[in-house]
Amino acid sequence: MNDRRARFEAQVLPHLDAAYRFARWLSYSPADAQDVVQDALLRAFRSFDSLRGSDARTWLLVIVRNCHFTAARQRRRRAAVPLPEEHESENAEAMISQSPGPEVASILRDQARTWDRLIAALPEEQRTVLLLREIEDLDYAQIATVTAVPIGTVMSRLARARAALRSRWLSDPEETPHAVR
Amino acid sequence: MQCADSLRVQAYFDSELDAASSYEIERHLEHCAGCSALLNDLRSVRDGLRGHLTVERAPQDLRARVTLALDRDDARAAHHGVSRLLGWRRAPFWAGAFSGLGAAAACAMVAWFLMMPPSSGTLIDSLVGAHVRSLQPDHLVAVVSTDRHTVKPWFAGHADVSPVVADFKAQGYPLIGGRSEHIDRQRAAVVVYRHGLHTINVFGWASDGRAMSERITRNGYHLAFWKVGNLQYCAVSDTGWTELDGLVALLRDLAIGEDHPAKE
Repeated sequence: MNDRRARFEAQVLPHLDAAYRFARWLSYSPADAQDVVQDALLRAFRSFDSLRGSDARTWLLVIVRNCHFTAARQRRRRAAVPLPEEHESENAEAMISQSPGPEVASILRDQARTWDRLIAALPEEQRTVLLLREIEDLDYAQIATVTAVPIGTVMSRLARARAALRSRWLSDPEETPHAVR
Repeated sequence: MQCADSLRVQAYFDSELDAASSYEIERHLEHCAGCSALLNDLRSVRDGLRGHLTVERAPQDLRARVTLALDRDDARAAHHGVSRLLGWRRAPFWAGAFSGLGAAAACAMVAWFLMMPPSSGTLIDSLVGAHVRSLQPDHLVAVVSTDRHTVKPWFAGHADVSPVVADFKAQGYPLIGGRSEHIDRQRAAVVVYRHGLHTINVFGWASDGRAMSERITRNGYHLAFWKVGNLQYCAVSDTGWTELDGLVALLRDLAIGEDHPAKE
């Protein structure tokens, strides 16, 4: 194994789990996520020299995001379905996706997984910001880099995602809000 | 009701504020019921998410796929290096004239890489790949037994070598069984041990080459190599080095005791 490969495996491969989770949150399809992550790791390997001591995880997640949108564009072009418009309404209820895909729908049916269900119901741009913050523990600046939006947008999406989760959680018939005061 | 400071309360909650701003928000929270309720909401959503959300890990076969893709890319990069040496980039006319030759050379390179005896890099990959595959349901063992007198004879018909086999249950490494795998273009014997929740695959194959370096970590898996006669062993697991070395020491002592050369 050459030196470049060894450095790549030491610095970038430890973030494979984070990359896979992020791809899942973006696409919700395990098969698509695997393709996206494989593609992203290959691209990351080829442009490894551009990393230069910066934050390897954020750098890799940016590449995952780019690969996801490239792949999604190609899929959409094949399916000839127009791009969905980005919702930027202030109303938290309007942010909840009205037409979930098949993978989302199957999660919605699974009554046991309340939180997974609540997350699946969020629009993609809120879900990714929220999970990058709460699960991957990225700070606002890192999230802004990964999602390619200004920090102000990160903050407002985060606030909307949390408000939507909170209100849906309280109104969820499967979940008694005993933990909430 | 939401206060104008709600985004600042959130920033405070996310540890994004400096000490002075944090202090201001803490003062504000003391008399703003709306904002302290918001802070509670933020906490309960975070606790709910961190406590209940399914946190996935990359599937094992994705790891194997990524390793394979990187190997191919390494080979491709090596090929480009050779093309540059041929110098055709400097002569556009001859590049056109000899593009057919170039393609033939490329094919020859690919064939050469395919036919090359496995280098230690690809050997390590096939060991890690075999280990990862073995962790999938129903792939671990072909002969299930905790009795070495069952496992060892099984190899006679299924592998090209006869490795040491023992049940180290008392030492914390119970024998699970065995299977065979294609490693280094032969049927290698694989003895499977358990240690706690971890699976340890011990590969054994005949090798006349020099001994491999003793310890390698690949994709988070530890590989320990040792050699007894011409029988090359490799133990692969995701345990720590201490646990893996424990089993290696037991197997080495045993092999020295009974001295098992490979069958010809």
